This record gives sequence, C-alpha cells and structure tokens, in this order.
Amino acid sequence: MSFDLHRPASISEAVVLATRLAPAARYIAGGTDLIIQINRKKVFPDHLIDLGQLPGLVGVAETADGYSLGALTNYRSIELHPAFQGNLSGLIEAARVVGGHQVRNVATVGGNIVNASPAADFVPALLVLDADLDIAGPVGNRTMALREFVLGPGKTALGPAEIVTSIRFARLPDRSATAFLKEGRRKAMEISVVCVAACLTLDESGSRCLSARLAVGAAAPKAIRPQHAEAYLIHQPPGRASFAEAGRLAAETAAPISDVRASAEHRRHLVAVMVERALTLCHRRIAEESR
Amino acid sequence: MNAPTHRVAGQRLPRLDGIGKVTGKHVYAADFTLPGMLFGKVLRSHRPHALIRKLDVSRAAAIPGVRGIITAADIPAVRFGQAVRDTSVFALDRVLFAGHPVAAVAATSLEIAEQAIAAINVEFEDLPTLFDPEAALDSNIRIHPDWETYKALPIIARSGNVSGRARIHAGDVNQVFASAYRVYEHRFTTPLVHPGYTEPRTAVADWDANSNVTVWSNTQLPFDTQNTLAEILDMPAARIRVIVPGIGGGFGGKLRIGVEHFAALLARKTARPVKVMTTSEEELTSAYPRQATVVTLKTAVDRDGHLLAREGRIVVDCGAFAGSGPGTAAISLQIMAGPYKTPALALEGIAAYTNKVPSGSFRAPAGPMANFAVESQMDMIAKDLGIDPLEIRLRNIVKEGDLGPSGEVHKSVSIEECLRRAAAAIGWENRSPEPGRGKGIACSWWMTTGGSSGVYVKINPDGTATLVSGAVEIGSGAITGAAQVLAEELSLDLADINVAGVDTQTAPFDYGAQGSRTAFSVGNACIAAARDLRRQMFNLAAGQLGAEVDAMALRDKHVVAGEKSISIAELARISRLTGGGLIAHGTAISPSPAYDPTRLQNHPLPAWNTPSYHAHAVDLSVDPETGSVSINRYVVAQDVGFAINPTYIEGQIEGGVAQGIGQALSEEIVYGEGTVMNANLTDYKMPTAQDMPDVECILVECASAAGPYGAKGVGEPPCIQPPAAINNAIAAATGFWLNSLPMTAEKIVKQRRVGQG
Amino acid sequence: MSRTNLDILINGERHQILIEPHWTLLHVLRNVIGMMGTKENCLEAECGVCTVLLDGKSVNSCILLAAQAAGRSVTTIEGIGNPEHLHPLQAAFIECGAVQCGYCIPGMILTAKSFLDENPGRRPSRDEIREAIAGTLCRCTGYRKIVDAVALAAERMSVEGAIP
Repeated sequence: MSFDLHRPASISEAVVLATRLAPAARYIAGGTDLIIQINRKKVFPDHLIDLGQLPGLVGVAETADGYSLGALTNYRSIELHPAFQGNLSGLIEAARVVGGHQVRNVATVGGNIVNASPAADFVPALLVLDADLDIAGPVGNRTMALREFVLGPGKTALGPAEIVTSIRFARLPDRSATAFLKEGRRKAMEISVVCVAACLTLDESGSRCLSARLAVGAAAPKAIRPQHAEAYLIHQPPGRASFAEAGRLAAETAAPISDVRASAEHRRHLVAVMVERALTLCHRRIAEESR
Repeated sequence: MNAPTHRVAGQRLPRLDGIGKVTGKHVYAADFTLPGMLFGKVLRSHRPHALIRKLDVSRAAAIPGVRGIITAADIPAVRFGQAVRDTSVFALDRVLFAGHPVAAVAATSLEIAEQAIAAINVEFEDLPTLFDPEAALDSNIRIHPDWETYKALPIIARSGNVSGRARIHAGDVNQVFASAYRVYEHRFTTPLVHPGYTEPRTAVADWDANSNVTVWSNTQLPFDTQNTLAEILDMPAARIRVIVPGIGGGFGGKLRIGVEHFAALLARKTARPVKVMTTSEEELTSAYPRQATVVTLKTAVDRDGHLLAREGRIVVDCGAFAGSGPGTAAISLQIMAGPYKTPALALEGIAAYTNKVPSGSFRAPAGPMANFAVESQMDMIAKDLGIDPLEIRLRNIVKEGDLGPSGEVHKSVSIEECLRRAAAAIGWENRSPEPGRGKGIACSWWMTTGGSSGVYVKINPDGTATLVSGAVEIGSGAITGAAQVLAEELSLDLADINVAGVDTQTAPFDYGAQGSRTAFSVGNACIAAARDLRRQMFNLAAGQLGAEVDAMALRDKHVVAGEKSISIAELARISRLTGGGLIAHGTAISPSPAYDPTRLQNHPLPAWNTPSYHAHAVDLSVDPETGSVSINRYVVAQDVGFAINPTYIEGQIEGGVAQGIGQALSEEIVYGEGTVMNANLTDYKMPTAQDMPDVECILVECASAAGPYGAKGVGEPPCIQPPAAINNAIAAATGFWLNSLPMTAEKIVKQRRVGQG
Repeated sequence: MSRTNLDILINGERHQILIEPHWTLLHVLRNVIGMMGTKENCLEAECGVCTVLLDGKSVNSCILLAAQAAGRSVTTIEGIGNPEHLHPLQAAFIECGAVQCGYCIPGMILTAKSFLDENPGRRPSRDEIREAIAGTLCRCTGYRKIVDAVALAAERMSVEGAIP
C-alpha cells in the first residue's frame, strides 16, 4: 500500500482537496477501519486526506435540545463522558464494546458511521435516539437523519467530498432509558454476532409504553429499526409478554447472513432474545430512576 | 507428602530474564537484524490440491530490489519429517494444501518482496480433494501417491492415506461387551486450533566466508532445526549453527522447521543475510496447529460404574504431511485409557492425510482431544447409572502399583488426592447451586517427555556460575527453575547463576523445550554437573585446607571442613591458574519404564516417563437463551512432584487453562472448501482478559523417583482437561452435553432445542 | 512516492525522520529508528503487542500512520523505566510472576499505564483491570498474574503519588 497523505488545516480546505483528488482520495479520521482495509487490500486509495487535525470536530457539547458529538470524538471520550451516565447510558454501553482501549482512544464516531459496517456497534445506539448528522461539503452544509444515511455494507448517502462534522440527538423525556446489548463469541474484542439498542419511554402512569425505539445491528446489510415491533409496543404495558412479542416481531424483520461467526438462524434467534432483554433493561432503569 | 524445604529450589524467586522483558531490552528472534539484511517472503498455494502446470518467476525477478528467487527447481528434492519423511521445502509437481510453499523471494524491503510474490505467475490444475480424515481412510484419492517410497521410523505403520496406525489391546473387549451390565457408545469431534503465540515465527540466516551458515531463529528445538537444515542444505550439521536469541511463546508450534530453511536458502542464493517472518495469515493457514480429530468410544461398565472394557478409536487429521500426526494418534491411546483401571482395552489411533494444513504438536498433543471424549463419557455414564461423577472416578482410578494401558506400572500416583482436592475446592457437594449454573470435573494423566539433556557449568572467580544449556527458555520459567536447582546444589543464590544464550555450536545437546521436560531434564543435568563440580572443588580444597574430602560440605558459597573453609570464588580463581578452571559436563536421560510389548502395535511412545496426575473443576453459568457461557471459578489440582518455583508453575497452569478454555469455547481454524475462512485474529478467537476467571492452583507434591527433588513435568497438562470439565459443567447446568468443540453459544442453543423438542 | 519530514517526540527525545506517508508508527519505531521494545504481530489492532502511548493514551501503533503522530508525544516501553529505575508497573510485573515469554509485556504494561494514568491514585477493581487490558492478548499467563501486577502497581502508585 502506498499513498500521498494530505493534512488540510480547515474543513473547506479538506473539501477542496477531496474534490480535486477524486476519485482516488479517501478521508482518514482515526484510521482504525481504513488502515486495516488498505492493508488487507480491500481499498487502494492514492490519496488520504487526514481530518485528524481539523479544529472544532472533537468533543461532546450540550445544545438547546440535546447533545452534539463532534465527528472526530473518539469512543473513549464518549464512554467516560458524565453527560451519558443517566438515561443515555446505552451510548456508553455501545461505546465500551468497540475494540479495546487502544482502538477506542483513536477510533472516531464519525469515521465509524461512514465506514458503515453492518456490525457497527454505535450505529444502533444512535439510531434509537433518532440522531441527525451534520454534513459539510462542496455544495454547502446539510443535515440528514442517520436512519437514512447508512445504505448498506460500506455504503452511505455521503456525496463526493462530503464530511460528517457532528452527530446530534435530542435529550430524552422523563421516564426514559436506553440500553445496548451485544453478543459475540467471546466477551471482548468482538465484531458483534448481533447487537441491539433500545430506547423506551413510559407514560406518566408508568404503566404503558409511550414510545419505543429499537435498533438491531449485524443482522441485516445495515442496522435496522424494526418498525412493526416499535409500533406494537405503543400503549402496551411494559413487561415480559409485550417485550417478548416485540422481540419476535423484530426478529421477523431481520435479514441476517450465515458466516464464520454465526448462522443466520442463530442470529435471528438472538435478535428476539436481545430485543426483549434490552427493553427489560430499559424498564428496570426507568423504575430505578423514578425511585 | 511434604517436600523438603530448600534454600533456593522451591522458592518463589523472580525469573532471571524478567528485567530484560519488562524494559523492552530482551531480544526476540522477531527483533533480530543484521546489517545489509534482505527480507524474504514465501509464495503459498491458494489451491488445496492441484498440479503445478506453470511456475514463472521472470516478472518477479525483474522488479528492482529483488535479489533472489528460489523454487523447487533450485534445491535438491529432499524429503524430511519426524515419523514419516514426506515433507519437501517447496511443492514439487503438485500442491497438497492451500498454503503449501511454492517459491520464496528475497528483496531489499518487505514491500518489494511482497510485490515480487504477487508477480510470480503460477497456474494450477485442480485435483480431486480430500478434506475429511475419515473419508481419507478408504478413499481412492491419494494425497501422497509415492508414499511407499518415503522413509519412515520403522515403528510407524503406514498405508495409503494412513500415515500412522497404533494399537493398544488387553483382554477381550468383545467378550466383555457381550455380557456387561451397560455398554455406552459415543462419538466426539475436535477442530484445528492454533498455538496462538504472539511472536511470529522468524529466522535470520547468514553464510560466512567458509560456507557455514548461522541461523537465528525462535525455534524450540535448535538441534532438531540444525539437523533438518543439514538435510535440506545437504551439508554436515556441524557447519550449521542455530542460535535462539529469544522466543515469544511456542507451545509446541515452533518445534519444527518453519521459515529457517527459506532464510538459509535465500541467504545462500543472494550471498546476503535474509530475514523471514510469518504473517498472522500465514500462521493461521500454514503453521503447526493442533490436529482435528474424531474420537469414538465404546465403554462397558458394571452396575457400580466400574470400567470393564473400552474400545476406542481416534482418527487424527494430520493434514498434507504426517508431522506429529502418527505420534499424536498413538499418544491418544494412553489418554483414552485415562488414569483408570480397565481390564480389557482395544484402542486404535489412526493418522490420516488430508488436503489441509499439516499439523503439529501444540501443547499436550492428543491430550485435550481424547480427554474431551473420555471424561465427557465418564459423566454421561455416571448420570445414567445415578452415580456421582466424582464417585465414579474414585471407583476407577489407578492406585500405586496398578498397571497402565501398556502394562507399565503406575508409580507416585496422586490422582485421588488431585480429584478430592479439586472437588473440595469447587464446593462439589453443591453441584447445581442455581438454575443455569453447574460444576464439572475432569481428570487425566500425562507424561514428562524423556530425551537427553546436557549442560556445561563453570564456576567463575567472582563466585558466580555460568550455565550453558541447549534448552530454550520459551517463557515457562523452566530455565530459571533449572538454575534454582543448580544454585541449590552449589550453595549459591539464584542471582549467582548466569545463563548463556542457546547456541548449537557451543551448547551440549538438549532434546528440546517440549513435552514438559525442560526443568526436569535440565535440572537433572545440573544436578549431575554440580555433583562433579563438588568433587572438583573438594579435591582442590583438600590441598588448600589440608583436610579430607570426606569431611567436606558446601555451605554459604564455601567449601567447609570443620572450622576451616574456602570460598567457591577463591577455588575458581586458584583452579584457573593451576588446572584450567572449574567446569563440569552434566548429562541426564530418563530411563524408559518397563512395559508389556505384547499389548502394543506400532506405538512410538509406549510407556511414559514420570507421569503426572491432575484434576480440574469448574463452576460456570450458561445463559439458556443466548448459549453464552461464563466461567465463575476454575480450580486445578496438579501433581507437580516438587514445585521448583511455585510462581511459574502456577503461571503454567493459569496459562494452560486459558488455552484449554479457548479450545473449549471459542477457538477453531475454520475450513471452507479447502481454504481457511478465519485466517486473522479478528475471527480466530483466543480468550481475552475478560474471558478468563482467576484460575486457582492447588500444587500437589507427590515426589517422582527421577525428577530433580521429585519434580514432574508441568507445562502441558493444564490444557488437557478444560474442554471435558467445561462440558460436564454445562451438562450440570443444562442437562445436556455437547459432542463437538468448540462448545459455542450457537451449539448450546441448538442442543437445548434438540433436548426440548 | 516522495518522503516527507516527520517531527516527533519519542520518550521525550525529538526525532526528525524522512518517512513515506503510508509508514505506520510501528514500522518507524522498529525498522527505521531501531527501537525494538515495541513488538509486532498481527498488524491489525487485534493483539495489542504493538501498543504505545500517544500523548499518554494507549494506541495500536501498527495501524497508526507515523504521520498521525506528527508533533505529538510518543512513549514506548523504553521510555517509562530502565533496569536501574523500574516503573512501578515494571517492578510489579516481575514481582507477581506476570512475565512468561514476555512478548506481550511491553504492550501490556503500556496498556495498563494508560488506564491507571486516567485516574491517578485510584485503585481499580480486578474486573476493571481486566476490561482495561482486554485489547492486549496474552497467550502465556491466563492473565491472572497480570491483573495481580496491575493491582499491586496501582496500590503503590496511589501511595507514592502519580508517577510520570
């Protein structure tokens, strides 16, 4: 592998460079996915445009209605951030399982999203928060829902030379909680066999689900929001019966593959189990919070 | 039995090479470089079985920076190997597995060497493939059409695709099967697993002006490497020098020639030093993994669970070359018998060729595979008869003086103590403390590999001693252990022992850092050398002190005779001036135990030197819906004879169990149509720190007759029992066993569904 | 392919080296500068033996471009202690018998150091230590004595104050 490495000083400079050097140029953020792909001869860029030094793209900020993650924020920063210790703890649970500390000190949220692996752990955790992406590019800035952004394995709706600059999501209402679960073949350093994120909000009485958002990773070409399961849960009483049914419905929408890590059948089975458990976890967290 | 208290041996002392390793100063073969060095890479076949129709290196040779390319055409067509001499450096007219070397290149940089490899043009014509070792037994497809022309050890029985077949028999199993209370028949399978050392196999070779070659390598067996290179290079072994700078783990995967021959051949071709280092992908496709096996066991018992007869067969998939397949198949028979009294035995071990990676001697070859079968079946029998699994074992284990499967006599037997102590430690009375949680046990025995060791020991005028040994310190701490024995014998401190680097040119022969033998054998050689040094020192002191030799003793680094004494340092100084120095050659060879040859057919290792006994107990939880297994506690009671250094012995146990847990739950090299599908560490799953419990070690000391201070071999046994112990605990937690490794979450979920359906 | 100037601080010493853009930090350390304390194995961030500290944080040097470390501070095993003055982690690893073949040890020590330095003076639990070192594989020890060593070092470092 060999390439030229460019280090633009600003986003606009980066975009201009990427436009000029297209199509054999790639952006590099942390590089934890990209360098491995280059080494394994999956991609052959002639140019890498290093975004690592660009100002203003790192950090967790509070906004008027929620939070904004700079696209170059690394996972270790996210997992240690005090803002997510409460009902956003699902984000921490998802951040924590991305490789080991060494990877998490370097790998960035934005880079991971754009890499668009179907097994990316953090994407489901953001999907259940209905996260939006801010994107800068040659034709200006725009915003797009993460849900529409990832299109398939390695494919996103990013246009030529565009850069994801931040990821935003709203604060959760009261009586809400998030959870993230992962199953693999060992307990750390895993590409998910299946991962599941859930965000549950109960009504004022606490006896009905007001809204449920679910996301399943590694069980389809991209992370999915099982809408039937989500719709079913509205007004259902939270508990084993409704959560199990939601799991069953979610498993029906999964389109897993069989590979060296697991069979499709097992993945589908895990989706049902893990959706139920993620919801149960949310429910317990809401109950504990309200005490 | 209480071990004697020693001043140095038996103490938890820090290892001699620790400071170098924690400061990054310790040089491993992977770190070794020479000025002007070229970088070598190997072109390996991507087809599993094919004729080589075309091999054109011209494009590669033209790349600037490429200094030499070699193929089979450039070297004598030598076949080498241990049991069967069936291996060639490069594929000759055909490739036999995906990964088979076809050519090698040396270039001025690794990148250029990789480019050159990619530029070599090879055309293959596929041949029918054979991937199933059981199918290989009767198949018309011949992996080695010329097998009859190969030389082999006379003891090995070969035929067609069978590279070795060994048998043990006693009594008449069929008669017993006909009349026994119950007969149980089960089949088990185990996969290929990689030794998983973190340092790639590496060699640097350099030829001198006299056409002698020096090879720096991380081999566990420098003398074996030297001999194999002598055959390949067609020159006397004495002109080949193998030096082991340092080795980052071996576990039996760095025994046999790996890249040393490529380095030496390329260095000869280019007249430059050449370094060859494997990649992770090469390790997972073309190294020396543990054989995949199929084990069938048919066992007859009486109503009290006494073993009456056992018929067992193991088919060992040795891959494209025999490697240690025949030996592994044979040793399996002793494991299949277990540390149990079984009057009638009909055991057969068969090694079969297939078009897959040739396999090797990963830690306790045969152990985990055959033990998984034996000890899982033992629990299945226990459950069927309504007998406690610990109790059924206690009813069957051998006692002192009982005969083993080869008619050898079991001595220094401690299996009962190991079982009872492991069971007590895990809290055996409460075997299913809560739903989804269970405890399991498994036991075994294992050998201390024999073979000879020699050491030179010299005393220096500063009072230190230098130990020259041909045994490599592969990480176990065995050389520190041998040095502790030496220090004990010479009344020195461990810090007074300097260990020389391993160099075939200057070190006495050692059979190698393998088979749990190093501390045992090198320790014994040190005892012999120390005995001679004491004689030399006493003789010299007699004149200096005017005292009788019979009145002398070594104490506190002095020769003492009553009120008179003289320091060892002073004696060394005097000896240098008057007698050439205090130096001794100590050797050790373990006597082979007697056995009954009429019980055996074609078995290369019929009776084990100084066997050890051990029992494992595990407490785990199984998530019934996801199948995920979490190990709560893991206990090992291992008979080490005498714990020369308890810290490093614990380290061997803790590490061996980790490898066993990996084999039990997550590790396998997965083949799909003849190619490895998970040739990277992302998908070859070794245990991380979060997958391991704190293994608890009970060191049982039942002194051996032959080991230093009664020691027994320690390194291999810990990886034998985990698969069976875990299987038995899973059964205690869920009600069912698995019959194939690894016991993944998916298999557990599937098996549970089968049980419920 | 043109080489560019890399200006980098390694163990407090400034290095100016001509590099090719695709060279990893691991390659520069071992094969260009000749510092062999940092080890190489999988080259895909799965095993952790290549771990170094970048501005005090553990990273896999095998997939970090050397250029990404430009102007930053790299710490290798050679930089945290020496035989005459061992870092508490180095001393604890020897004392606890946590070193066997030793090939993972430089990476393991630095992984632990990065974690302990995130909260100087704090004593993590054994489970926390396991989680912290999960990205560095050891095939020899089964991790028990490594966890012992990190816990012991943390205890000593909490008594003596944070050691740089």
